[in-house]
Amino acid sequence: MNVFVELRAARLTLAAGVMVRALVWGASAALTVVAGAAAVDVATPLSLDVRSRVLGVAIAAGMATFVALGWRDRSVLSARRVALWVEEQFPSLEYALVTAVESGEPRFVQGTSTDRWLVVARRRVARALRTPSAAFAVAVIVLVVLPSGAVARVRSPHAGDSLERRPASRSGRRNRLAPLVAELAPPAYSGQRASTIDEPSDVRALVGTRVTIRGRGDGASVVAIAGPDTLRATTTADRWTVSLAVGTHPLAVRFRDEANARIVALEPIADDAPTVTLVTPPHDSVLRAATGRIALTADAGDDIGLASGAFEYIVSSGEGETFTFRSGTIGATRLAGKTASLTASIRLDSLALKPGDILHLRAVARDGNTVTGPGIGTSETRAIRIARPDEYDSLAVDAAAPSDAEKGAISERMLIMLAEALERQRPRLTRDTLLRESHGIAVDQKKLRRTVGDIVFTRLGGNPSAEESTNDENPQRAKSIAELLQRADSATNRSIDPMDFRGDESPVVAVNKPLLEAYNAMWDASLSLELGEPDRALPHMRRALAAIQRARQAERLYLHGAPPRVVIDLDKARLKGKDKGSSSVRRALTVSDSADNARADRFARIIELAARDPGAAADSLLLLRIDALTGAPAFAAALGDAAQAMRAGKGDVATAALARARRALAGVPVVHDSLGRWGIVP
Amino acid sequence: MSTEFVFATAQYESGDWDSAPLVPPNIIDTIARYTEIAVAPTGVIVALSDDRMLRYPLLFLTGHLPVRFTEAERRNVRRFVERGGMLFVDDHNHDIDGTFHKTATEEITRSVGPLVELPNDHQLYTAFFKFDGPPTTSHELNGWGDNLVHRHLLAVMRGGRIAVLYSSKDYSSEWNYHPDSKRFLSVDNTRFAVNIVVYALSA
Repeated sequence: MNVFVELRAARLTLAAGVMVRALVWGASAALTVVAGAAAVDVATPLSLDVRSRVLGVAIAAGMATFVALGWRDRSVLSARRVALWVEEQFPSLEYALVTAVESGEPRFVQGTSTDRWLVVARRRVARALRTPSAAFAVAVIVLVVLPSGAVARVRSPHAGDSLERRPASRSGRRNRLAPLVAELAPPAYSGQRASTIDEPSDVRALVGTRVTIRGRGDGASVVAIAGPDTLRATTTADRWTVSLAVGTHPLAVRFRDEANARIVALEPIADDAPTVTLVTPPHDSVLRAATGRIALTADAGDDIGLASGAFEYIVSSGEGETFTFRSGTIGATRLAGKTASLTASIRLDSLALKPGDILHLRAVARDGNTVTGPGIGTSETRAIRIARPDEYDSLAVDAAAPSDAEKGAISERMLIMLAEALERQRPRLTRDTLLRESHGIAVDQKKLRRTVGDIVFTRLGGNPSAEESTNDENPQRAKSIAELLQRADSATNRSIDPMDFRGDESPVVAVNKPLLEAYNAMWDASLSLELGEPDRALPHMRRALAAIQRARQAERLYLHGAPPRVVIDLDKARLKGKDKGSSSVRRALTVSDSADNARADRFARIIELAARDPGAAADSLLLLRIDALTGAPAFAAALGDAAQAMRAGKGDVATAALARARRALAGVPVVHDSLGRWGIVP
Repeated sequence: MSTEFVFATAQYESGDWDSAPLVPPNIIDTIARYTEIAVAPTGVIVALSDDRMLRYPLLFLTGHLPVRFTEAERRNVRRFVERGGMLFVDDHNHDIDGTFHKTATEEITRSVGPLVELPNDHQLYTAFFKFDGPPTTSHELNGWGDNLVHRHLLAVMRGGRIAVLYSSKDYSSEWNYHPDSKRFLSVDNTRFAVNIVVYALSA
């Protein structure tokens, strides 16, 4: 036989041996990882997360072993190295085979016997496979010896398989409340898939979710106390079951079985009502006429799913004490998905709106909640008002007989006309005639001035003509409006400083100020007229007329919308001088953070309990969490973490969670930007 | 900071919040007549959307038209109640099935919580004057509105106290007159307002 053919056969045998050995070692490594994880899981349960990774780690270990060994023995593929190995097994060759392989000349090994080369190679392979085969067998035996279900928990881990794990201790096997598995079946309308939780302590689920708690063994003595209800477990095939629904309020379910007890908190997740935004019309409006069409657009969204949407309108008619209302719905449509748009339009003509009517529009969306709903979300309301024909004037003017001020204005205008005519005739008149005519106008001007003075003083509460009737030519007359007002004020004792008014706080001053301006302007006009100087009197007379016009406007214009301002005279209402007694026993308002204080007290007691009985403290933390879910969600979240960590025996995690809970309970610290009043350093 | 009680009228965007402008001075006058509560001689009007509404322990809200709170108004009402304030809502329509009633109760339910019947032996009715229940108004008996005498007021309770007091009895019309006109009444019909104020300040 050709030497090279024999050498090739030996090389293939050795290579196959190397491959098989690497494969067996790799399989042994993978099985060892699985068996090791299963053995650890028997002693102390591994989490689903860890178990889910074991299979991957085992395959990786097997592959790595296989590749490493194959790489280490890769020289088996080399003909020269195999030739050297054959030379080592048959020293009589004296390197003839190596020389033949390197030179490619078979003549160097001509006549050499090759009968035993393949036999020796097969023996070497068999010897090399002995150890890995033994290791593989041991791993298989360990897997077989492990308790039932242990390998399955590692091989195909899934939520809820904790019931398949056999506890290591006898006490653990007697406790029917550990392990527990919760199967959650959300309400059908949500479209969510069912899920399973191992060892539940705090179950968060949508309201209406059916929670089925399963345990191991006979459940004849197992009861679940859920609020006022006591539920008995049902047993099927060595598994007990308690089923209950997640309500709208957090609930602590206490499981009891002989000497064992356990709490599972059910924390409801509320299905929020849809959010609706009215896009068009974008703002309130006033329409001149109730015709045409208004486009309606709205966007709706929901956390679970929308079911329907529509636009609602209300038409309010009337005013004062008499209102009538009509309402209706338009654009109703079925919706699907978490977001949707609503569109519709409304014809104003069809609503038969009258002037003054108000059309209130909003969008409404409903979700598919068949448990606590449907949740109804509404948008902001837009008000479309139909204008009244008489509201285009922003001010209302009441028709009334001319007031005294108006009569004065007519007279002043007549006096101005007389003075202007006299001024036009002045070049043709003698001095005496001019003085006589001018003096006559001055007398009328004084009468008119007295009338204006009467109006002012009457309003200020004084005696009419009190000033003028004493001495018309009194040089001590008021020289300014302020002085006149002060005199008027001192006569009526109304206030200390009548000019010290702000804004429109004193309607008396506001109305009388222009009249007082007219009053003084008329005085100056009458002086000039008495001197026969109508040209100098005219500017004062025109100023008086303008002031009277302002007074007239001030009296006749009333702004809408200002409610009457009534200031209660408290002394008068209390009949000042009556016996002072405590008319009512008043107690201080309860401080708003009383709930926080109660939580803080409970929290402190639980911390004390944790040192003595961590299990009871974890249960107490769960109960406190249930109470705090609504009022202090951050605090409740930290308590949940702490309870879980305490149950898992993770002291450092529990401590950190408790510290977080304490900070959440204390609230956000108040930060002052600067020193307060008491902290000012001189 | 003033310690006197200031009667506050709630201003909201959707309706005629100022439909009973004489109720505040009338109640202030009543408080001054019967109690030693330090009270401001005039009331204030405060927008529900304005954070300053949180300064007042009692807010009075009335009107005829639909009540649709804006998001800011809704948020402030919620904060106001959470801080211990009391919102007194009165339907100025003196009916039970009107639009104000429907919309206001819907908004209250949405913002604060569901309204329940307030029992007629509640502390509110003995907080100052003694009543056997909410005093009847003339508008309930004159054939207007729903022609019903409402036996109970409604309320949203928070922590054992009234957070929102809701009335369909139309006290807004009953008390909407100038305080000086009280002398024409044989029995002051605003006395129940004292109970509301005293309860809001002390309960």
